[in-house]
Amino acid sequence: MSEFFWVSRHLGWGIFSLLVFTALWLLLTDLVWRLKDIRVRRLLAMMAAGWAVGAVLVVAGFCLLKG
Amino acid sequence: MLAVQIFVLLVLVLALGAWIACFPYPSPLVRHWLPPRKRWPERQIRGWLKTGRFDRGFLAYFYRDPERVAPSGTGVLAPADGLVTSADVRDGIRYLVIALSFWDMHVQSSPLAGRVVSVTAHGEDFMDGEGRDFAFLREKSCPVQKRMVIQTHEGTLAVRLITSVAARRIETWVEEGDQVERGQRIGRILLGSTVVLELPAATVLRVQVGERVRAGETVVAEASRAS
Repeated sequence: MSEFFWVSRHLGWGIFSLLVFTALWLLLTDLVWRLKDIRVRRLLAMMAAGWAVGAVLVVAGFCLLKG
Repeated sequence: MLAVQIFVLLVLVLALGAWIACFPYPSPLVRHWLPPRKRWPERQIRGWLKTGRFDRGFLAYFYRDPERVAPSGTGVLAPADGLVTSADVRDGIRYLVIALSFWDMHVQSSPLAGRVVSVTAHGEDFMDGEGRDFAFLREKSCPVQKRMVIQTHEGTLAVRLITSVAARRIETWVEEGDQVERGQRIGRILLGSTVVLELPAATVLRVQVGERVRAGETVVAEASRAS
């Protein structure tokens, strides 16, 4: 699991993917908030759930590839 | 590999930084995907009005001057883009008031073909002359305007371009004695917000209050020969 964070002189692909995904997800949340007529609470709940699913998929993908 | 990762993360950090710096207004990264009203929210534009510093992209959008194709026929065309807010008759004249938003095209066009009889400007003393009897003038804290009277085959009509004393900039592109075509560009209000079309009271309106109209394209009334 340590390879998740760091591997031979560069960031682990797991944490790197998670950081990239999180940043893009934040920007996407902002875009959805501006485009859709939706309550902030509902949007945040939706996007948080989406982020959790995405994060689990990133970790699961990392584990499967390294498995 | 680490350099590539740092570069990617740096780009994302910059994107997030821009997002935070612009919040609650849209960052330059997402503007392209937003419709004009959300790309430049009203509150942000009002802020620019106070400071006098506008976003270049907004100004380019605001000053756009697209080609409009007038429909065939003799119908009276809308002189401006915007929302019809009233169409009251007073002293034999129907005042069709069109309110322009920040996102509407601000070039005005001639409702019918004809000859320009007069182009008059009213400054800050306008209120003393005509008073605040008109609702479309009461709404402005200090209205200034230009009024173009056009003699057409269907009668005399007038187009008023109204703005506030804060904006005070109205361009007219026709002069007394000029012949104008139906739908021809006649002027532009810079940061103004109201255009009033004065028609004979007998004119049959083709639009209702609350409808959106487009300059040089929407037929707002059927020409009446009464002047």
